[in-house]
Amino acid sequence: MSLKLELDFQYKTSIEKLWSALTDSNKLAKWVLENDFEPVVGHQFQFRAKPNEYWDGIIDGEVLIVDPPSHLSYSWAVGEEKHTVNWTLREIEDGKVNLHLEQTGFSNVHGLEGARHGWTNWCGELDKVLA
Amino acid sequence: MSEHKQLRDVFDAIADPTRRQLIRLLAETDDIPLHELTTQFNMGRTAVSKHLSILKEAGLVMDRKVGRETRFKLNPSPLREVQDWLSFYNKFWTANLLSLGFLLEEEDK
Repeated sequence: MSLKLELDFQYKTSIEKLWSALTDSNKLAKWVLENDFEPVVGHQFQFRAKPNEYWDGIIDGEVLIVDPPSHLSYSWAVGEEKHTVNWTLREIEDGKVNLHLEQTGFSNVHGLEGARHGWTNWCGELDKVLA
Repeated sequence: MSEHKQLRDVFDAIADPTRRQLIRLLAETDDIPLHELTTQFNMGRTAVSKHLSILKEAGLVMDRKVGRETRFKLNPSPLREVQDWLSFYNKFWTANLLSLGFLLEEEDK
């Protein structure tokens, strides 16, 4: 187990179009959720899902990195849970673009004490504990 | 699942290195008294005890009295929550990234 989620998808498109799908509010609404996203560092935004009895449906975010057309990063907070979402775009062969998603939680732990206290090793042990 | 009421978020409980060390130690034993746990740390009994009660609040540690001493035991089930967010977001993004593929195809038409 790892405390981060990583996914890779390949799309037959241009890197500019993919970047626009990741950063244009109208396009994001079509494949993620309704939002008021803007690709401006420091911009605070929300993704809004349909509320249910357990959750108001709101995801709060703040734009952290905008480096077109290859790197986008924002925070992603649902209630007490705070994650960071990182997108990396890379042109590959045959006019395709690889989209890499990395979502990490525990951003504070990672930053402040992760390296010092071997958080990563601990995850391996967590697997053993849960086995 | 644990029948113990969870007063504290499990993510909060495991955010501290001392508490992760405690979980590690508890995972290796069946049942351990406080003084044996304390010898593993550069801190006093009270401090270790405080960390244990935070783990207890998160439902990660159970205690029982044996004679005059209290023995502590790990209850790993709340740690599943940590795994759950991964599987939730895995499904969430996989579905969304597939629709992104369709969206990009539509745009090209």
